[in-house]
Amino acid sequence: MSTTLLTGSEAAAYGARLARIEVLAYYPITPAFPAMERVSKFIDDGELNTRFVRVESDHSALAAALGASLAGSRTFTVTNSQGLLYMTEVVYHTAGLRQPVVMAVANRALSAPHSRFPEQGDAISQGASGWIQLFCENNQEVLDNMLQAFKIAETIRLPVMVNYEGYIQSHTLEEVEIPDEEKIDQFLPLNRVRTLDVEHPQGVNTVASPEFYMDYKFRQNEAMEQALTVINNVASDYAKEFGRDWSGLIEAYQMDDAEHVIVAMGSMVSDARIVVDELRKAGRKVGLVKVRAWRPFPVEALREALKNVQLITVCDKNIVYGLGGALGTEVKSALYGQSIRLNSYILGLGGRDVTTEEIKKVLELSEKTEQQAITSEWFGL
Amino acid sequence: MAISIADLSKEELFGQGHAGCGGCGAAVAGRQAMKALGSRTIITIPASCMATLGGSNLKTTWQIPFYHTLFEMAPAVSSGIRAALEAQGIEDVNVVSWAGDAGTADIGFQSLTGAAERNEHMIHVCYDNEMYMNTGGQTGSQTPMYAITSNMSKGKAVKKKNMLAIMQAHEIDYVASASIAYPLDLIAKFKKAAEKPGFSYIHILAPCHRGWQIPAEKTIEYARLAVESGLFELYEVDEGVRNRTFEPTFIPVADYLTTQGRFKHLTSEQVVKLQKSINVYYGRGGDEE
Amino acid sequence: MVKNLPVVPTAKAGSLVETPTGITWRIQYPEILANCNICLECTLFCPDGAIVQQEGKLVLTLKLCKGCGICANECEENAIQMIPEYSGVKGVFR
Repeated sequence: MSTTLLTGSEAAAYGARLARIEVLAYYPITPAFPAMERVSKFIDDGELNTRFVRVESDHSALAAALGASLAGSRTFTVTNSQGLLYMTEVVYHTAGLRQPVVMAVANRALSAPHSRFPEQGDAISQGASGWIQLFCENNQEVLDNMLQAFKIAETIRLPVMVNYEGYIQSHTLEEVEIPDEEKIDQFLPLNRVRTLDVEHPQGVNTVASPEFYMDYKFRQNEAMEQALTVINNVASDYAKEFGRDWSGLIEAYQMDDAEHVIVAMGSMVSDARIVVDELRKAGRKVGLVKVRAWRPFPVEALREALKNVQLITVCDKNIVYGLGGALGTEVKSALYGQSIRLNSYILGLGGRDVTTEEIKKVLELSEKTEQQAITSEWFGL
Repeated sequence: MAISIADLSKEELFGQGHAGCGGCGAAVAGRQAMKALGSRTIITIPASCMATLGGSNLKTTWQIPFYHTLFEMAPAVSSGIRAALEAQGIEDVNVVSWAGDAGTADIGFQSLTGAAERNEHMIHVCYDNEMYMNTGGQTGSQTPMYAITSNMSKGKAVKKKNMLAIMQAHEIDYVASASIAYPLDLIAKFKKAAEKPGFSYIHILAPCHRGWQIPAEKTIEYARLAVESGLFELYEVDEGVRNRTFEPTFIPVADYLTTQGRFKHLTSEQVVKLQKSINVYYGRGGDEE
Repeated sequence: MVKNLPVVPTAKAGSLVETPTGITWRIQYPEILANCNICLECTLFCPDGAIVQQEGKLVLTLKLCKGCGICANECEENAIQMIPEYSGVKGVFR
């Protein structure tokens, strides 16, 4: 074990290295590219025995990763924003084929207008794709989630996205503890399944008739539901082994007697944590629920965590046009039948800064808002 | 060294029980190619008749690993498969992507040119029936000029894109054209391609009797007439060296064209123009007439 | 009841051979005549693998044949004849 300064991109790359990925397929995009450059350097320096498929597009990146996975190799790719949208067709397809591909996504706003800056809209757009999606609060979690992602993916045969925000995480140095290789090898033995195998030939993705398609989709969704348990189990196994507990689907922070609760995911969680600490010092009964697993959406866990609170403030770094923030919408839906005051805010789109000050102001605004917002309010315009 | 049919593998690795039409030219191409490739082959086929006829639900005609991919990505998938095989130390496996003219020249072109430029150790096959038959026969870049299709009732106004020349420009290990009417020539080319350490491209003319509006039993016959008229040249470019593998007898191009339903509207001027261009190409003095 | 399906949507290799598609489409079937010189060309032209070579002989498996007539059209010896499936008003399906 060693501690070093790493960007989020480097943390993702170290995660891939510790997972001993066999195939990397990647097409450069900003701000995800440094993760791939770092893995390529590991390969060039002989520190990682990995084949790099230097594809000509994001679509082909996931296609090549998928092919490698079907042939039984542990595979990894990295992308964000337009790249993720360009490969969307393959994103859905990979989930339907139940391949344990892991993809790091350095979340970035979507065009138009053109933006290179952080936002979670790209990942949110893939919410119906059948991928498990984990959001990371800091660079340590990026590394730890990468390793857990492979474990979850290969246990349940579903692909996993590891989301961290562009620049705020991808390009910012933080202290990160790197676990020992031997311990990771024990935690993450390769569970090799060869779907395309000359020794055991079969036809893959043959056309499904109406008689079969729906049953396949039921099974796929069933696996997603099982992931609710697997994600928790893997987080607790990891905590036992490596001493860091990311508490599974959600984390309830200062929630014992909390009356006003922030619900958020990604980098805003680390700011919200500071705000909660400050307000607690001032005697305020505030708490935080961090949503770590965006898909599958942890409905039961949230209902349990939020059952005794008086006011929920959801912070979203995305917009679903005509509806509101995606997390706010999902939390409302999860709490159906419970009459808890809930206000949902959209902030920080396209890189607009969200600091502890903004979060404090959002909380104040929420407390003053008596009428529950039907859609989300915009903050910081 | 000449191959004889009697010496070919007796294994039937593809085609028996397939779900395609009777007289399917693509299926003929698949059967011929598999005689050369053998059982240690992994094939990826994007959206096309060839993918669909491969099987449905829990059944497939393929006896080798077959993966029905999304439309535009078969060469990229095959690149990933090769990377995985290398990572696992698995050798002696042919990795093939097999697409129609759309999955090769049009929607699939980006991933094809990428894989070719990287000189991936694989073979890409285009089975060319000159229109988008799986969606009912629309015009694509491989549809020849004048051909009537389901979405161009007056015929195509522009020329067919020369995919063989484009792939040759990639300076890959091996480029070849083939026709299902010349199976031993086709099989020899696949055997050569399978020996190459890098990328090979094989472009097979595989008529579709429905799209071409010809009788089903004449599928092979038209594949032969295309070659004999000189319109579809059989050749290879083996590590940069070009070689014509069959000398046509130069039957009149009209014999190939005007009996096909898709060309029945051709004017005699248009036929003469096509005949002249063939004559010029082969140095047969077409200019003077 | 949800069907018990493979995790990855897959089909067993060669499974269509036992339950071939298209046999009911057939309106004519080939018959190999005595003048066949076993040149074997038809084995490479058949789209369905219905005529194959086994130990130097031609073997015709009618249940794989869709009756397209390519074999008869291509045979240089005229040694394959296509015969209509239906005869008379009731017809006979072989």
